[in-house]
Amino acid sequence: MQKRRLNPVVLFAAAPLFIAVTILASVMYGAKSIDVSTITAAIFHFDTDSIDHQIIVSSRLPRVIGALLIGAFLAVSGALMQGMTRNYLASPSIMGVSDGSVVVITLCMVFMPNTSSLGLIFYSLAGSALGAGLVFFIAWLLPGGMSPVRLAILGTIIGTFLGCVSQAVATYYQVSQTISFWYNARLHQMDPGMIKLIIPFAVVGLALAIILSKSITILSMGDDVATSLGQRTGWVKALSILSVVILTGISVALAGKIAFVGLLVPHITRFLFGVDYRWIIPCSALLGGFFLAWCDILSRFINSPFETPIGVVTALFGVPFFLYLIKTKGGGKHA
Amino acid sequence: MPEPQRGRLWAVIFISSIIIAAAVYISLTNGAFDISVMDVVKTLLRLDPVHEHDLVIFDFRLPRIVIALLLGLGLGIAGAVIQGIARNPLADPGMLGINAGAGTAMVLFMLLFHGSITGTGWLSIMAMPLFGLVGGLTAVILILWFAQERGQLDSQRLILVGIAIGSGFSAITLYLSLKMNPSDFEMATVWLTGSIYNANWRYISAMIPWLVLLIPLLWAKSRVLDVMQLQEASSMGLGVDVHQERKILLLGSVGLVSACVAVSGSIGFVGLIAPHIARRLVGLHHKRVIPISGLVGMAMVVVGDLIGKTVFAPAELPVGIVISIIGVPYFIFLLLKNRM
Repeated sequence: MQKRRLNPVVLFAAAPLFIAVTILASVMYGAKSIDVSTITAAIFHFDTDSIDHQIIVSSRLPRVIGALLIGAFLAVSGALMQGMTRNYLASPSIMGVSDGSVVVITLCMVFMPNTSSLGLIFYSLAGSALGAGLVFFIAWLLPGGMSPVRLAILGTIIGTFLGCVSQAVATYYQVSQTISFWYNARLHQMDPGMIKLIIPFAVVGLALAIILSKSITILSMGDDVATSLGQRTGWVKALSILSVVILTGISVALAGKIAFVGLLVPHITRFLFGVDYRWIIPCSALLGGFFLAWCDILSRFINSPFETPIGVVTALFGVPFFLYLIKTKGGGKHA
Repeated sequence: MPEPQRGRLWAVIFISSIIIAAAVYISLTNGAFDISVMDVVKTLLRLDPVHEHDLVIFDFRLPRIVIALLLGLGLGIAGAVIQGIARNPLADPGMLGINAGAGTAMVLFMLLFHGSITGTGWLSIMAMPLFGLVGGLTAVILILWFAQERGQLDSQRLILVGIAIGSGFSAITLYLSLKMNPSDFEMATVWLTGSIYNANWRYISAMIPWLVLLIPLLWAKSRVLDVMQLQEASSMGLGVDVHQERKILLLGSVGLVSACVAVSGSIGFVGLIAPHIARRLVGLHHKRVIPISGLVGMAMVVVGDLIGKTVFAPAELPVGIVISIIGVPYFIFLLLKNRM
């Protein structure tokens, strides 16, 4: 067992301060800089005539809250997947979860163009379940399919396949542009109404993750150990997948595909706070939120005055990190 | 190793040639403008030149078919070689990030010389594969550098690094393509999805030198590839300098892939699936696998392009998408059947 390097309590104590700083920074900087007094005024004495106030309340605030939440969801699903499959490369973005959602959303936009936002969230969830289910089912049928490399390859292949199916459907029915709006990361047009809609799902997903965290720690020692300790591994896995599907599904529904958060953050968390998933899961949520929110802030500066897609910024950090992981851990079994 | 009879090899060559010929025939005669067989033959043999027929066949259909054939050939062979090097039947040039690297370089090229790419300059067209090659090589050098440990090249790690490098390059491509002006951007996106709409003879002549140069080189190395399938120590014992040869083979296949990507954008899965089919048909010897997977690749791309053109007409699907949609289920079926 690795020694815990840092006390997670420190993180939780500092979290409110960090969150406040992140929100403040994210609201202040952008195409139009806004000073602190305007922000406090917008929050406490909202003035419908002031453009600054409108920007803050209807654009900047939802955006930073969305980024914090989505970062948290993605990081938690990444942590769950990595623990459950004992695979250090597992992450929702390379397991067909987001591509599955895109397929279903495409079909939905073609055949039922009048679906409500809530309906779209449901379909997005169903699609994520479909994608993840397909990848895991095929991996389970293959000998050694759960090994990091195999699973990564299968996930990539099936993800490409699902992506191509949706592209073909979109081309045929000429809805490509609508679709590409839907799934290309769109943090900048976060809809406050959507955030409210997803809260119940988020609560269920996160609660499941936290309840499961102890079992995941045991599961991460291996199926045999877990079974001999009296754990019903089948149930734990099924519930974990459910939680991953909910969390990733709503992230895709909110902001489209954002890669690497689910891969990167759990590793950093493990590095900082040790291997106990009871701590890893909540800490991943916090760190994931910060990571994505700061990437989002950075995305406004890299190519200013234009915004850079958030996926480019996360890849900027994610790819070198991924390479580092492979360099240090190789093709081996478990992190 | 089971040695399939010579007759079988010829049968395979014969049947795949017939499939290719049939697809070529249908692509030549059918389309928005139907041309009868006689007219096609007449036009090709320059017997009775009709201007419209000349235009449709020589400027639109024929270049597209030829490009499809060349692409299939190049990608199929490169795939067979790369799977041989990686000793992994799941390896694929696309998965190794080579396509993405070449793609980034091409987008950079379009960004730097914007406007002139649609143009007529021979120089810019001949420079395209070169730029693609530089990008593909950069990807490969990065991959090799990261995948190597103490001089050893682990094939598992090769693939993982490839996936990582590939997504890195895709991010750079996205970033660069956003800096383009709208018309170039349109062109870049069409090109990136793997389409061959805008085929013309210049692209073909830019591609051919690479194919003519590299395919014989790779084929000549097929014995080395056979030996590489053994454990590394055994191959060393048989007098093969594995590291040296691996680098040469990798360079050669990267050259092929880059030339193809430069012309068509990234067409995935040909390099993954064609070698599988080839191995099932003619056994494991690379001397046979390499040409046969070239043939199978040709058939795949020509048929895929035909389907993309006709099934959704008048809308066209990029051939890359058609191939993935048909190829992936078949590939997974293969995986399950062989329990690989």
